[in-house]
Amino acid sequence: MIFSELYSAYYNTVAAIISRIIDGEHSERELQKIVTERAFLESALTVMPSLKSEKWQLVHSDMTTPIKHIPTMPLTNLQKQWLKAISLDPRIKLFDVRLPDLDGVEPLFTKEDYFIYDKYGDGDSFEDEEYVRQFRVILNAIRNNTQIKFEMTNRSGKEMYIRCRPIRLEYSEKDDKFRVITEGWHGGSTINLAKMRGCMPYTGSKPLEESHRNILYDTVTVRLRDERNALERFMLHFAHFEKQAERIDKSNYLIKIKYSRDDETEMVIRILSFGPMIEVIGSESFRNLIIDRLKRQKSCGLQ
Amino acid sequence: MSSYSELIKNFEKIRAYMREFYVYGFKNRDDYDAKSSRSYDNERRRIESWLGEHMSFVRTPEGKNVFISIDSRTIRHNPFYKAWKSKSFTDGDITLHFIIFDILYSPSVKMTVAELLKRMDEEYLSGFDNPITFDESTIRKKLKEYCDEGIIKTEKEGRKIYYRRAENTDVADLNEILHYFSEVAPCGAIGSFVLDKTQADTDAFTFKHHYITGAIDTGILAYLFTAMREKRAVTVYNLSRKANTPKKILMIPLRLLISAQNGRQHLVAYLPELNQFQSYRVDYLSNVKIEDVYPGFNELRCELDKMRSKTWGVSVKHNKSGTDHLEHVEFTVCVNKGEEHIIRRLEREKRVGTVEKIDDCTCRFYADVYDSSEVIPWIRTFICRITKLNFSNRTLENQFKNDIKDMYRIYGIDEGV
Repeated sequence: MIFSELYSAYYNTVAAIISRIIDGEHSERELQKIVTERAFLESALTVMPSLKSEKWQLVHSDMTTPIKHIPTMPLTNLQKQWLKAISLDPRIKLFDVRLPDLDGVEPLFTKEDYFIYDKYGDGDSFEDEEYVRQFRVILNAIRNNTQIKFEMTNRSGKEMYIRCRPIRLEYSEKDDKFRVITEGWHGGSTINLAKMRGCMPYTGSKPLEESHRNILYDTVTVRLRDERNALERFMLHFAHFEKQAERIDKSNYLIKIKYSRDDETEMVIRILSFGPMIEVIGSESFRNLIIDRLKRQKSCGLQ
Repeated sequence: MSSYSELIKNFEKIRAYMREFYVYGFKNRDDYDAKSSRSYDNERRRIESWLGEHMSFVRTPEGKNVFISIDSRTIRHNPFYKAWKSKSFTDGDITLHFIIFDILYSPSVKMTVAELLKRMDEEYLSGFDNPITFDESTIRKKLKEYCDEGIIKTEKEGRKIYYRRAENTDVADLNEILHYFSEVAPCGAIGSFVLDKTQADTDAFTFKHHYITGAIDTGILAYLFTAMREKRAVTVYNLSRKANTPKKILMIPLRLLISAQNGRQHLVAYLPELNQFQSYRVDYLSNVKIEDVYPGFNELRCELDKMRSKTWGVSVKHNKSGTDHLEHVEFTVCVNKGEEHIIRRLEREKRVGTVEKIDDCTCRFYADVYDSSEVIPWIRTFICRITKLNFSNRTLENQFKNDIKDMYRIYGIDEGV
């Protein structure tokens, strides 16, 4: 069903090679580049040799082809069903694009078939007209590398007018929110889209401030005691980070996780959620954050 | 001995290896089944070929540990989708594929198998030194496969069956939609297949808290969604943590429960033989076979909907006709002046239950759920301000308190502090 050669990197690569030959490219070296770009690391050992040796009878040894048309393939039922499923997602309205006609196609899934049970309850209002309008302004500015302007209230309640260049839209499934990664202003780089007001394209000629903020990373090292299935739970929980694990003995593990410094508080509470199965052993400052919380807990009088 | 190929016929074996390399990453060659050391080398080489840039290794006294390490915030596309694009095929498969779609280059062109075969031989294969010979039954079989996939249509005229390609669907403008939804929607690998058809790429989107492991289970999910859509039972093999060999189970799949916080995906199903509901980890399921339509599907879904307000995680009421066995969970936190964000946290992070302000500096959360142990990790995130606990499951409450004492000990916090 889903695991089919119809979707394979090899079929796509061969389609691209044939297209280039039809367009007049007959240099083996140039065609080999397509393999490097589109297939896997070792595909160069298979794709061109199979075509050249006429094992796959699609390209002659002189790099011509009997194929007359640029290769295309209609969408499979599965692809249409998936497209139909996403056409029913409320977030589709964020995009100012008309989906192809999928009348009569059954969706692969609907919102009745799955449930994300632990996303936060204050997610963005994806169907709110103003939210959709701002999303489109930002996306358009990202596409065209142009500036936007907007107002927002900062954490201390101060009203701000900001002009910047949006670089990317970052979506968090847990928060169910979009954040806009920006550059060109002094205040910071990432802003919740829902907090922006009156976002418009900036059409003036003022240049932006020179401010490009790189993400700063830290590493936390923990010792894990594998009780109550902690190892599996922990490794899955932190699977989306760059990390390295080492077994110390039968039931103890050492794990290093690289995280963005901006997310330190979140990391602290995520590690606390594993209780005594995890001990932070580095950095000292991170360990002290845990100790501080435990000391405060101790003074809460929980019996 | 067959020679090595970076393509594979069966996804199941590689699925387990990818998970081991990505989720754990501390095992060396000897930790895998000794009988399959060549298999280990081949699977590792394949994964390296697909995900080269994300593969790392470290030498330990026990040997070389290979692991996949990815900060999913920095990638544009889920790299595991590449594994779904590695299906093996025969020389005949690929040759036939491109020739058939070249002959049937437009939906207006239709041909019988005999006509197709004649054109293939005369205009395509005859130009090669040793042309492959296809017979009618091979072509008919391939066309049947393509009809099942929906990419070829048939038309009967008298006794003749004509074949033509299905209408093309224009996806050229969908690049951003495909990029976004192939990362956030279930079965995103399928979106990635469509994305491969578009020329341009966008880097407008990145993803935080992005669990990419689920991609490995896309095949299972696609079968389960199909069964749910058609309201059918399935037989499936489940490898439980307590057993060494997978067990075959007949079940009615009802809903996928997906976690945005721990990367796990569960299937809630009804087991007709036991008259009970049960949750299963999708990554432990394999070999799904779709069975007959189950007439009571809608009623089971309604029953499941009723459970939602009592389900914190994935534990559901077991006995279909029995009464609810609920556990009370309650905890109180202190919220000092300037810490109003804690109340907001309680409100937005609770999945069920009630948050109640007791006074200016105290808040209480309470809920009645099927399994109070599922709430524990969340309660621990409030360590530093928990003043009171009240669980109906006293064993669990005591364990929670002992765990905190254990943490004091681990971090060397004096009794007197």
